[in-house]
Amino acid sequence: MSVYDLQRIKMPEPPAGSSDDTRDPHFVPAPCQVACPVGTDAPSYIALIWEGKYAEAFEAITATNPFSSICGRVCDAPCEPACRRTDSDGPLQIRNLKRFIMDEIGHSCDPPPVAVTRPQSIGVVGAGPAGLTAAHDLCVAGYTVHVYEMSDRLGGLMAWGIPAFRLPGGVIDEDIKRLTDKCEGLRVHLETALGRDVSLDQLKQRHDAVLLSIGAWWGKPMDIPGEDHPQVVDGVGFLRRVNAGERPSLPESVVVVGGGDVAMDACRVARRLPGCEQVKVIYRRGPEEIPARRIELEGALKEGIEFIYHTQPIGVEARAEGSLGLRCIATTLGEPGENGRRQPLAVPGSEHEIECGMVIAAVGQKGVCEELDTLNMMLADRVRADFGTMRTADPMVFAAGDGAFGGSTIVMAMHHGQRAAYYISAFLEGHDRPLPYRTPYRTRQVEVAQDMMWERLAVQHPEFLGLGDKPVEFPEIETTYDGATARKEAARCYRCDAETGTPDYSVRHREDLFSMARMTPADGAKQVAMLQRRLEPSENPFPDERPPQFDDLVFLPANLSRLVIDPYREACTSSFDIGGRLKLEHPFVVSGFGNSPAEVRDAVARGLADTHSAYLGPRPLPSRYSVPWLQLLVDKESAPSPEAAALLLVVAGHSLPIQAPIRVAEGQLLGLAISSGSVLEEAISCALEEGLDLLLLDGAAAGMGSDYGAWPELAGAPDLRLLRDAVAILRRLGREEAVDLVYSGGVRSGTDAAKLVGLGAVAMVMGVSAGLAAGGRIVGDTLVFDADLSGDDRAQSIANLIKASTGEATMMARCCGKTDLHNIEPEDLRALTLATSESTGIPLTGKRTV
Amino acid sequence: MPKRTTTIDLATTPVRRANELIRQHGEAGEDVEILNPDARHHIGVGLTAPIKVAIRGSAGYFCAGLTDQARFEIDNNVGWGLGDNMYSGSVVVRGNAGAIAGVAIRGAELVVHGNMGSRAGQVMKSGTLCCVGNANFMAGYMMYGGRIIILGDSGQRVGEDMTGGEIFVAGKVQALGSDAMLTDIAAGEADDIDEFLDRYGIPSRGRGISKIVNAGQKLHYGTQEEQVRSLPFFTYSGDSAYWNPKVQEDIHVKSQIGRYRIRGYGAARPLPHLADLAFLADLSRAGEDPDVVSKVHMQTEIGGLNGAEPLKLSMPVMIAPMSYGAISRSTKQAVAMASAMADIAENTGEGGMSDAQRDAAKQLIFQCLGGRLGWNIHDMKRADGLEIYISQGAKPGLGGQLMAKKVTEELAAIRGIPAGIDLRSPSRHPDILGADDLVIKIEELREATGYRLPVSVKLGAGRVRDDIKIAVKDGFDFVELDGMQGATGAGSAEVIDYVGIPTLPAIVEALEALEEIGRRQDIQLVLMGGLRDGIDAVKALCLGADAAAFGTSVLIAGGCIACMQCHVGQCVTGIATQDPEHEKRYQPAVEAMNIHRFLETVRWQIAAITNGLGYEDTRQLGRDDLVAMTPEAAAITGLPYEPDHRSLLDT
Repeated sequence: MSVYDLQRIKMPEPPAGSSDDTRDPHFVPAPCQVACPVGTDAPSYIALIWEGKYAEAFEAITATNPFSSICGRVCDAPCEPACRRTDSDGPLQIRNLKRFIMDEIGHSCDPPPVAVTRPQSIGVVGAGPAGLTAAHDLCVAGYTVHVYEMSDRLGGLMAWGIPAFRLPGGVIDEDIKRLTDKCEGLRVHLETALGRDVSLDQLKQRHDAVLLSIGAWWGKPMDIPGEDHPQVVDGVGFLRRVNAGERPSLPESVVVVGGGDVAMDACRVARRLPGCEQVKVIYRRGPEEIPARRIELEGALKEGIEFIYHTQPIGVEARAEGSLGLRCIATTLGEPGENGRRQPLAVPGSEHEIECGMVIAAVGQKGVCEELDTLNMMLADRVRADFGTMRTADPMVFAAGDGAFGGSTIVMAMHHGQRAAYYISAFLEGHDRPLPYRTPYRTRQVEVAQDMMWERLAVQHPEFLGLGDKPVEFPEIETTYDGATARKEAARCYRCDAETGTPDYSVRHREDLFSMARMTPADGAKQVAMLQRRLEPSENPFPDERPPQFDDLVFLPANLSRLVIDPYREACTSSFDIGGRLKLEHPFVVSGFGNSPAEVRDAVARGLADTHSAYLGPRPLPSRYSVPWLQLLVDKESAPSPEAAALLLVVAGHSLPIQAPIRVAEGQLLGLAISSGSVLEEAISCALEEGLDLLLLDGAAAGMGSDYGAWPELAGAPDLRLLRDAVAILRRLGREEAVDLVYSGGVRSGTDAAKLVGLGAVAMVMGVSAGLAAGGRIVGDTLVFDADLSGDDRAQSIANLIKASTGEATMMARCCGKTDLHNIEPEDLRALTLATSESTGIPLTGKRTV
Repeated sequence: MPKRTTTIDLATTPVRRANELIRQHGEAGEDVEILNPDARHHIGVGLTAPIKVAIRGSAGYFCAGLTDQARFEIDNNVGWGLGDNMYSGSVVVRGNAGAIAGVAIRGAELVVHGNMGSRAGQVMKSGTLCCVGNANFMAGYMMYGGRIIILGDSGQRVGEDMTGGEIFVAGKVQALGSDAMLTDIAAGEADDIDEFLDRYGIPSRGRGISKIVNAGQKLHYGTQEEQVRSLPFFTYSGDSAYWNPKVQEDIHVKSQIGRYRIRGYGAARPLPHLADLAFLADLSRAGEDPDVVSKVHMQTEIGGLNGAEPLKLSMPVMIAPMSYGAISRSTKQAVAMASAMADIAENTGEGGMSDAQRDAAKQLIFQCLGGRLGWNIHDMKRADGLEIYISQGAKPGLGGQLMAKKVTEELAAIRGIPAGIDLRSPSRHPDILGADDLVIKIEELREATGYRLPVSVKLGAGRVRDDIKIAVKDGFDFVELDGMQGATGAGSAEVIDYVGIPTLPAIVEALEALEEIGRRQDIQLVLMGGLRDGIDAVKALCLGADAAAFGTSVLIAGGCIACMQCHVGQCVTGIATQDPEHEKRYQPAVEAMNIHRFLETVRWQIAAITNGLGYEDTRQLGRDDLVAMTPEAAAITGLPYEPDHRSLLDT
């Protein structure tokens, strides 16, 4: 299918049993994957190459392509013109990346063999890409497959039609070996031609189904007088001789007629053979219309081959001394014909002659089979078959490949093979009307490459070697990437398959918009399909499982109703004196490093000292830095320290009545630490009665355990109700200003902090966030400090996180029109979800508030 | 031959009429004398002829504002905003000037013989502002270029956050502003000052003048943020883990750079959206009529409620404001071309108007921001609508942000600023500190353009219920209401994600508020922020919007791949970049056609749904056509909660 057609808007069901991910809401097959007839998961293998995961890349490449090594060299690569980067600075070199992987590990990766599990067998006539791909798929499905090949080797035109300078024999052998090793049910009969060595009837008797993949093995004639001259040869025949190992001497001057891939190979082969000095290609249309792949055309030009456009041969005449006169006529382009291409028209009076020693006609191929002709199963040049079902008129006989549907490409022939295998399986399983086949699209969901150069890197071209030192030996025309170059090329991938970072323009929305930009109101069916698709209800962004959380609160900015304070340049205060005595420059207290390695504790202390921040925990950080310590008195046995700036007694759920901590040094702040709503009333009343300075409200998901070296915040979203309820109690008592509330639990950013200020806290505890900044890595419910970081790095990171968070918090305040962070109020907040609204007491956005 | 002088007496001629007459005399080359000005506002605004205007008395706000070439003399005092955005020309004030004298001037010469008020020369780009007396606080606030000469004392915090230009103080420098510093005055500069003073008949103060320039501490972010490609949004939304990869990435980056993160694009997480609503009727056969577009009346006029010439839209759709700066010139051109083909309105955004854009767009709204970057009388006059930007949905509270990579010579020239700075535009207008200032500002714009153009306000959604009431009271013709799903070229990631309210509650609040005060008919509403297709547009219309605007979706239609790296300035598709090597990747003619087809598909979708709902005119769409599919959407909109609606229709 083409990239933006109806099928991409309304993707049909995948074939039964196939690996297809198109129902994944976060996946849309990329244009390159859609353009690939076998649906190769190119974005994944490209990303895997960037990651250096070559074996995984190999798996993605070969999953639907049994001729990956060959394709790495010579695939038509329809993926590349489909690549979105083509419109920008050049397509991803997808084929070259495949070639890199196959050269790197293609010879050594042997997928496990697949055993025969089914009783039926299939006879396949012709061992080209269509026949062998069908054989592969049928073997993988558990059938026995007998392949009948008239020549002495497997591969069809891959082996006989492509010269070694583009496709060395070893590369073909690699794919064939991998295929034959894998398919235990494969039986190969070489030098066995249909009609000569075996009849169709015999095949039908031996097998439960037959696939005719006879290929388009023979060159079509030019239909001009004089073409029976012995120095006029057909292109495929010429290539076959060379691929058999011959290196015939040619006359000095050779003319190739035609503009397709065979013409390109023929002219380049001629250029390399002894005796040949000059090769001309004549083509009846212009350079814009020539069907040869751009890369082949450019290669031929670089090798010195001359192209004569708008010229058509009308006859061949023998000249003296063995030379030929190729009589030609000039052409112009007329109206488009039935095939949609503009037809060449002869220019009257433009007859002229091109002198040469040899003419190679590469004007098309055809399938020929007398036996099938006799059975009336042939059209003029191919097997009569229906592409929708891959069937011939004989219910047992299927057909595929060039020999059935006209000359095409290797990858299209493989697609034919896959289709044929699908319909043959369905037939053998008794499904009369199977779901129409479509190429399945898988994704391996590889992460996007984090390469900072991805937007800037230009196309990485392999080195072009051309004819080489000894052209007649057919050395390869270009190199394979090295690892570094492959990685650079891989970094360029847009990753059109990957989910975006924005739900409003998710990969599905984006692809719909791309489609909408490529259809017109006249495309009725597409419009209707797109409308229905766009009318489908979207996923609820807030599933029931989503806990109430900071993320679901937003700030109301100052606009017209308040004066915004310029967040880029105008001042906003963030410091706070807890209990009127402990001055915090930043509204953060750090906690949680009780059991951390000594060097980490040391670095954290330094970072805190640098930012004049405080630490909360049962024991202090190393004392050589000046860091105010809020001592947590975990139980009644904990000894209050005179070194502590504050004493906070942990109130366990059952420890009623509450006894306030007792000061052991002058000026110490006193407070209670509460993690359960059930003791809130008592704790607040105790705090007010005793005149305590602060209440630490711990909403961490795992609650405040006795072991404060653990990281209880890692258990999930914090409980916001504790703060809501504490503020409500204080408000009810009219004592909101009497005690400072410090909140702990899940604080990740300055934005969270600013929200907490709006909810009533004056300072926030950073535990896991600080741990992550200090180089911690989340492993289960704890942090592991195994990164190779210096103490300086860790200290700087802690300080940076605190500064950045304060910057964020005050930015929020200024957007709300405040010059002091602590002036953010509940009215500056709105909730996005009902659950968060309930947990915080903040009204839902849009709802009328009185 | 001496010029003729015509006298206009403001005791008998209203200012609106007087300004028309002044412009007529200007075109005729006749000087004008104004009698009895009595501190009226807007005297002479919009004048673009080289005539002399003598004001015999005191002038009010914005005297000589939005002018080019004219020479003004005021015998007595002037109010605030003297010479607002004045190009060439001159003003001599014999008395004192109020606040923000010389605000945003771009070449004019202003002389105040008395004292001048605070923030003189705010965001000025070039020209000279000379004060013979003392300046009040923050002279040269956020100035980008030009020269301020203060012969008396400087006032407090002189040169506060100035980016470019020079301030010369002959008297006492009372206190330097943030990021300002004293430097040596060059010999030539002193001569230049004397030459200027001599020209205006002011005695030289001799040598010993202090010079104040930018100190260079705040023009660039200290540490560059490492570029990171976006994580898939589902890894950090819905029911994903609390300490998800995005949280960890944020902490990691911030602990490296020590400041907030910056990114481009709109909301990075799912928010309540129009997509959470569904149509009540069965639309499974909608659009089967191939001729549906011709069966629905979609023409929409916007902006004509108060007598201006309205925008005439072929459908209730507009292009959302996007700046030349955030996006490339080629992209602006493609969008303009597509808007013309679809016959809807395009919008300049912050970066000023280019000839190419003006020529390509059929209807073009010209946006006025606090930094007055690219704002000028000539482009106002060739616009089809004016828009005062208060804030935008992506980052309400923050001014525009353009990283140095994008501030090229050409772009800096059109904006009148130094090239190569990390540009952070002001968050507020110099002359809009409260709602009532807006009334006078709107009046100035209307005076300057002869009351011909609709004047709108761009409003990021926050306290919509309050803000919309102010907007209607201030007399705007329409509001461009932008929910927090709106996108930006660069902004603080946290502000993008956590400041403002979504587009869905924004429109609901706006409508409810207008109905509360019975003034729905006095203002029009254009809704934007995360709208993607004709379905979203129709839902907006159902909820009461007069039109819908598309920004990001238009960029995507034109090739944007939503990688969210706009802020880096190396846009891989050539859209969000000013780098010529990257911009040349973008083919305006090709992408204009893509955008055009997108807009035509939107038109088809609007027609198909409107028709499918049984209407012939988009104005018949209403709230009753919708139901809510999520509990939040139901609570926000008050629409019935029908989560099973779709499946019920199917069965």
